[in-house]
Formats: sequence, structure tokens, C-alpha cells
Amino acid sequence: MKSIIQNIPGKTVLLMGNEAIARGALEAGVKVCAAYPGNPSSEIIGTLAQVADEMGLHVEWSVNEKVALEVAAAASFAGLRGLCAMKQNGLNVASDFLLNLNLTGCRGGLVLVVADDPAGVSSSNEEDSRIFAKLGDLPLLEPAHFQEAKEMTTFAFEISEQLGLPVLIRSVTRVSHARGNVCLDELPQSSHRPGFETNRPLTAFPALPHHKILHEKFNRAKQIVEASPFNIYRGPEKPELMVFTCGSGWMYSLEAVISLNAQDRVGILKLGTTWPLPENLVTQHLRQADRILFLEEVDPFLENNVKEIYAQNCLTLGLKAFFGKTSGHVPDIGELHPENVLRAIQSIMNISYEPRPSDYAARAREAAAELIPDRALGFCAGCPHRSTYWAIKVALALDGRDGIVLGDIGCYSLGIGPSGFGQMKTLHAMGSGTGLACGFGQLNHFGLNQPVIAVCGDSTFYHAAMPALANAHYNGANFLLLLLDNSATAMTGFQPHPGTGETATGKEAPVIDLKAICEVFGARVEVVDPFDVEATVKTLLNLLQDEKGVRVLILKRECALLSAKHQRRLFRVEVDQKRCLGETCGCNRLCTRLFKCPGLMWDKSAGKARIDEAICTGCGVCAEICPASAIRKEKI
Amino acid sequence: MFSRQIEIGGKVSKGLKALEEKVFNENFCAVCGACLSLCPYLRSWKGRVVKLDDCTLEEGRCFAYCPRTEMELDEVHRGIFGKNYEEIEVGPVRKILMARAKDPIFHQKAQTGGVVSALIDFAFQEKMIEAGVLTPRNGDLLPQGQIVKNRKEILRCAGSSYVSGPTLEAFNRGPWKGEERIGIVGLPCQVLAMARMKISKLDKKTPIDRVVLVIGLFCTWALDYKPFMSLLHERVGGHSIKKLNITPPPERILEVTAGNKLYRIPVDDLRSFIRPSCRVCLDMTAELADISVGTVEGKEGWNTVIIRTAVGEDLLKRAQREGIVETRLLPEDHLRHLKQASLLKKRRALEAIDGKGGIEKAYVRLSTDLIQRILSESKGIKT
Repeated sequence: MKSIIQNIPGKTVLLMGNEAIARGALEAGVKVCAAYPGNPSSEIIGTLAQVADEMGLHVEWSVNEKVALEVAAAASFAGLRGLCAMKQNGLNVASDFLLNLNLTGCRGGLVLVVADDPAGVSSSNEEDSRIFAKLGDLPLLEPAHFQEAKEMTTFAFEISEQLGLPVLIRSVTRVSHARGNVCLDELPQSSHRPGFETNRPLTAFPALPHHKILHEKFNRAKQIVEASPFNIYRGPEKPELMVFTCGSGWMYSLEAVISLNAQDRVGILKLGTTWPLPENLVTQHLRQADRILFLEEVDPFLENNVKEIYAQNCLTLGLKAFFGKTSGHVPDIGELHPENVLRAIQSIMNISYEPRPSDYAARAREAAAELIPDRALGFCAGCPHRSTYWAIKVALALDGRDGIVLGDIGCYSLGIGPSGFGQMKTLHAMGSGTGLACGFGQLNHFGLNQPVIAVCGDSTFYHAAMPALANAHYNGANFLLLLLDNSATAMTGFQPHPGTGETATGKEAPVIDLKAICEVFGARVEVVDPFDVEATVKTLLNLLQDEKGVRVLILKRECALLSAKHQRRLFRVEVDQKRCLGETCGCNRLCTRLFKCPGLMWDKSAGKARIDEAICTGCGVCAEICPASAIRKEKI
Repeated sequence: MFSRQIEIGGKVSKGLKALEEKVFNENFCAVCGACLSLCPYLRSWKGRVVKLDDCTLEEGRCFAYCPRTEMELDEVHRGIFGKNYEEIEVGPVRKILMARAKDPIFHQKAQTGGVVSALIDFAFQEKMIEAGVLTPRNGDLLPQGQIVKNRKEILRCAGSSYVSGPTLEAFNRGPWKGEERIGIVGLPCQVLAMARMKISKLDKKTPIDRVVLVIGLFCTWALDYKPFMSLLHERVGGHSIKKLNITPPPERILEVTAGNKLYRIPVDDLRSFIRPSCRVCLDMTAELADISVGTVEGKEGWNTVIIRTAVGEDLLKRAQREGIVETRLLPEDHLRHLKQASLLKKRRALEAIDGKGGIEKAYVRLSTDLIQRILSESKGIKT
């Protein structure tokens, strides 16, 4: 049985932070769960989807985060408990609904988990989602470890119902994606029948009375958080330095204080309820020390809010020295980690400590270099995006008008780097490539003579590009939209979407046909297989010449990782060593120097290319681009 | 004599990077096709040669074969004729005649006398060659190289569109069986590129050593494909263009046969489309060919033929004997006029090169003595 649905109270299991959140929701009796996938949040709904049938849940991958929040909210409106999860960018999409939902309030418990990606490791941006809690006067919880991730989720449902407000949980990568021990509680048996009280409509209009009600709810939240067990203090009564922290900062602070052997000198106040803050608890701990350090990931959210409380009470609290992102003691971008936390405490406390020899990092890098292949961030072997960008590169060069490729969110965002031959020139939000193309596509009236191309993945298309395509046709924008249809939300882990014919729980679903949609939106639509590079180049050139309104080229080829799961290799590929021109005039290592599929290796001693059979997926595209026909593909 | 090459990062570069800087960026590409189909980095598209990616090699065939990269003209001539470049008027000459094809089939599409098509066809009959590399134009007048094997294909290549095309791309690309003897018809830039291929010391990987016959075409200039096509389409509307011909001076009108009408466009309207590459070209008569063929001004239906090599002389003799072509002496006036026109092109090229930063920076190197001779002998020639 999956550990997430074991009904053995008191049992300790190893769970990923996101699984712990999912378990917390199950223990709270959640019924409806919806999300749009996005790292580091994807496993929350992914995990629940796997147990949906057994647990009697509705779990769905919605087309975007706003719809996902609306789906979960509807459950709440009908008296059930609803869970919605997303990454930080997703909250921007959902925020329009959220900032009306705060005014209408909700009924059944409604929890919105936002997993932030500090440092933007798998995101287009770095963003602190917590500001939305402040913006919407909504309660915000931040788990610091796995047990708390589970317990906070259950607690969030409870206070959501108490207050009649959606509650936000903010996770971060190192909480969501790390694993730890979680002690299970009971799974409830509930069979509450949903119903919407039609005599109690939910509307934010008129805004003023609803805004007043929201403030009343918020004041009640302030009282609740004062007594929260998620806010704990560890340290001496009168520490020399008081650390205010939350989320991942808790573990790092503990480790740093122990490493510096400063347990008697440094106190740590870990806050789990970061909005609203427990004002009395905060004031009380500000009083205990003259030096205050803030440790948190991304923005100085806790830092500034505590400072607000301090400003309000400064006459009684007296002078304090504050350290954190504002003072420069803590980096104001990127993730926290034990070392930068340790350095911050060390420099404030003037403690000398060398955790490891100063040249350790350099030596570790050196040692690793021998073991790790020199491979840049790029597309997988056999990825259709590589051949798509290759074709774009060739077509734009031949076209000769310096075409602009407007990018979008997905694996193909790598098109901005060497793996996509640097073809992509803009990268913003979901669907923004097509939206920007709507604008660029009007600039020919002012003399812009560069062709305009937008790239967009299939999942991204359903998420946010469809309105832009409607806009394009309606307003007569002139551009070429490339739909990179790899039949997957590949970047986030192959979640199904409206084009895949499958739901989150593995049930059959109608396929929303990309070509048909684009045709309905008035576009001329062509379909090619990007593995046929020359045909793709030809079609691209043809579509670039035809400058009448919006044209769509669907580049249809399944994601190589997905194909590997259910399909044998297409070709056996090998390099004829006699024909390979290597570095000589006529080739100069086109395949390993520029095309750079990881399935190709450069044999330095022989001066020839080789196939890495362990990695090659047998797509055969390299055989097509080899100028000497030295790479041969044989149908399997 | 001194040598000038671009220095990149302290190293002498005679590769694609240098070709890009010296030729493509300066708009000196003649679109001859010599650099194409040799590697994956260069491709032609609608009358342009396009660089797709950077190549890091310091020396490459693209640079070595290009008719617009640094070269010693003496060295090229020594490689082809065994002697330095001396004959400044129309290049090395064994005989200058006028000629025309006898079989009317060669006149139908021919620009003038049909001699080029007839000679290539005859070279096939005589088993002198087994393949020809010629230049047909597709429906949109874009010239492309093609390997031809028979009369039907040869005839498709007759006529001119005043646009240069990457003929040598087809030569480089093949496919070749590996034994066939090859004849090529090319513009002066293409003939020069062939000569450079022949004398290059780089590993060739092309069948240049099996080229047994080079027929050169006279050329004053070629037009940039894209703007020329837009002008043509603007003037003739949607009609498909059947033939282009420029009438001799002083009239100088481009006659366009399209639909069932003849459109007349003053050549002066086309001058801005002349490729910059042609403005620095010293060669009107394809001086490195076996035989060069052009028009005879004022003699409709006749070609001027310059025989330069024993191969060329032998072919023409046999063609005459077999009744393929008929020849006459080129009247003295016409000969003088031909030489003047050729010298005038050289003079203009030298002036253009001078305006581009001085003769010492030119792609082609000539001795001071030769430059002086060209300038003094071309003095007073009227256009």
C-alpha cells in the first residue's frame, strides 16, 4: 500500500515534503484537488492523483492555475474541503481570482499551497509569493520541516473554515523536495454531501462592506496565530543575537548555531505563521535581544513585517540593531544554505570558524570534473526540440531578415541557450511568446521588417496562449506560431493535459485537437515532424514568406523520454569511421560541436564522432545533418 | 609581392570567418557557388550565399576557392596557362572568331548564336565529356547549377537572366560516379573559382581534376536577384517571363518577353541592382576558360569566340569540321570594340577597388606595372 494512504496512526514513514502536504490534506478530509504542474509543487497533486480512486477524491490537472484555484474553490463553496497547488509563477496567474476570493470568503476549508523556487532553479523567475498573502489579507503558513508540512496543512484547513478564508501555505524547494520522517495521524471517514446555499450568494461586489468583513476576519486570524504551536523559540532567555526565521531557515539556523557552538548566545524564533504575524510573540522576543537577524528565502518579507511591528512599539522596545537582507548580511537573491547562514551569524557575533579548508570547494570541483561528463544544460538525447531549433536556425538564416523568435515556458525555454542554438530571444510568462507576437506582429505598420515567430509548447498553449491566438486573428497580427507539440507537460514530469487523451487519474479523456483549435481561430495551419529537418526548414521558409496574418506550424513529435517508455528505438545509428570527416574542412565536427545531441561523442584520439549507445534514442536526426553521410541509421 | 591575410587572435585566418569578414560582410560575394556543398556551414537561398554557423578552421576550401578572396593573379595564370598574367586586354588568346551554331535547335532559346549549347552538345557526342555542369533557371528565373547528361537538359540551360547563380554548387555536390569527364559553362567569376580550385593545395574532395572543358561566358555584370525580380514583377505584372535580352549600345534596353508581350526597361533602371561584387571584377571575357563566348554587338545571331587553350582550339576545329558551328573572322572594328569594353571593365574595377580602400587592399593582386598598363591603355575609352 502506498505509504501516503496507510491508516496507521503513530506510524513513522519517510515522505517527501510535497507528499507530507498531500498526506496532511488527506488527514484533513480533502475531497477536491486541482493544480497546474510546476516545480517544485508538482508532486502534491501528482501524489494525490495516484490515490484519488482509493480515497474517493476528485483530482485534476487543470489547464492553468487560475482554473485550478477556481475548481478547488468551488468545492469549498459547496461545503467540501479543497486543495490547490502551484508554483510561484502560478500564483500570478491565479491572483485575479484570489484577490476577489478573499473578499467573498469561502465555506469548506480551502488551502492554496504555493511552492516557491528560490534561485529559480527550475523557473523562469525568482519570486516570493508571500506578498500575495499580505496583499489579500490572507493567512499564511510556512512549514520548516516534513512533519510540520503535514500538520500545517491539516491546521490550514481548520483555520480556513474557522475564518471563512482561503489559507496559503508557502513551501520552498528544500522543503517540498527533500524527504524526512513523518508521523502519521488518522485518516478520517467522512461522506459530507456537497451543496451550495443559493440564498447566500458569493460576490465581492459591493467591495467596501466585503473589504470590511475581510479585515474583521483578518483580526480574528491575528488572535489565532498568537497561540499557534508552529511558532517556537529555542535559545537562552536573553540571547546576544535573536534570529527570526521561517521555513527552510529553521534547519539552517539550528545547524549554524550548533556548528558555532553558540547555543548559549544565540536564540532562534521560528515562525510558522508568517502572515499575520503573532504581534505579541514577536514584540516579546524583540525585547529579549538588542541584535536581531532575519533568515528567510527570497524577499525580506518576515524582516520588513517584523520591522513594522518594531516601529509601532519602538518607544517601549528601545534601540535595536537589525541584520538581514537589508543590511547585506544575508544574500538578497538565491537560496539560503547552512554556509551563508553560518557566515551571517559569524560576522555579526565575531566568531571565527572555518568549517572546512579554504580550498575545499576548488578541490571538490576538480575531483568532480574527472567524474562528471562535460555536458552543458541542454535537451535530452533525441529531443524533438533540438531538431526544431536546428530547423529554425537554418530557416531564419536562409530567410535573411533577422527573424525574431519569442519564447515561452517549457523544456523548449532552453532555446535561449546553446542547446537551442541561441534562437530564442525573449522568455517571460506562460503564453507570453504568443502575446508578444501579437504586438510585434503589428509593428510592420511602423516599418519593422523582421519576421516574427512565437514558440509555444502544447501544454502552454492550453494554459495561456489560446487567448493570445484569438487576439492575433481578431486584431490581424502578422506572425508565425510554432506549436512544439511533444504530447506532454514534459518539463514538470509528464503530467497529462487536454491534448493527451488522459486525465490526472489515468482515465480516458477527450483530446482537444491543437490543429482544430488553431483553424477555428482563423490561422493557416501546417503540421510537420521536426525529425524531418529538411521538410521542416522548407515549411518554415514557406510560412515565413506568407505574411498574411497568423500562421501556425505544429511540430508534432512525442517527447523522447515518453517515447522511450512505450516504443522501441526507431533506428540503430552508427558512425562510419571511414567516412567521418571529423575536424577537417567539410565538417569541423558539426555533430558534436554544434548539434550536440548527448547521444553523440567526440573520440578525441581517433578524431572521429561516435554514438554513445547507452544514451542514443535512435531518432536518426544526426544522420540527416551529417555532411559526409557518415552517420548511418538503420530501421530496427 | 606581399601577402595580406586577416589576422584573428594572432593567427592567420584563411577560413570561413575570414570569408565572412572579407567577402560576405563587404557584399563582395559573387554567388558563384564555389564555396557551397563543401561543408554544412554555407547554403544558397534566393540568390544569396548564407552562412549558417561559425566554422573554427583556420584554413578552408571556401576561402581558397572564392574568386573574391586574396589571390595572386600571376599564380593563378601560371597554374592554368603556365605563364604570368600578361595579356591585359582580353586575357590569353590563341584565336578570336565569330561563330554560330548550325542546327536551328540551338538558336531557339539561345541568347545569340547558340555556340555554347552546340559545343557542349558536341563535346558529349565526341565523348570528350560525360557530364556537363550548366545553369538552368527555374520558373522564377533563379539560376541554379545542374549536372546535365543530354541535349534536352543542355537546351534547358540556354539563355541568360542577367542574374548570377551558384552553378559550382552543383559541381561540388554531385553526385559523381567518380570516373566521368566533366565540362563546365561558367561566368568569369565561376571560371576564376574553378581555376583556384584546380591550383589549390588543399585536399580537394571534388572532381576538379576531371574537368576537361571550361567554357566561359562574357559578362559585364550580374544583378542582385531579389530587387531585380521585384522590379520585373512590378513591370510585367503576373506574366511568366520567357526571355530577357539587353540590346546593344547606345540603346541599352532590357527586353522582357512575358505573356505575349515585349516589355522594354532601360538598363539605367537596373544599375542600382548590379552586384557590388561585379563592380570590382576585372574580367569581362572569362580569361581562364578554354573557350570564352559572348555576343557580337550589331551582329544578331552570332557569337564572339575567344579560343585560349589547345583543348578549346581542338574542340572548335572539330566542331567546325563536323558542321556543328560555322565561323568567320571577327571584323577589326568589333575586335577593337571588344578589347576596349574589356579594358573599360578592368579600369572601372580598379577605380571601384581604389574607392574601397586602395588597390593595395584589393582581393586580387596585380603588379604595379600591369595596373599602369591597364590604366593607360583604357584611357579615353568611351562607354
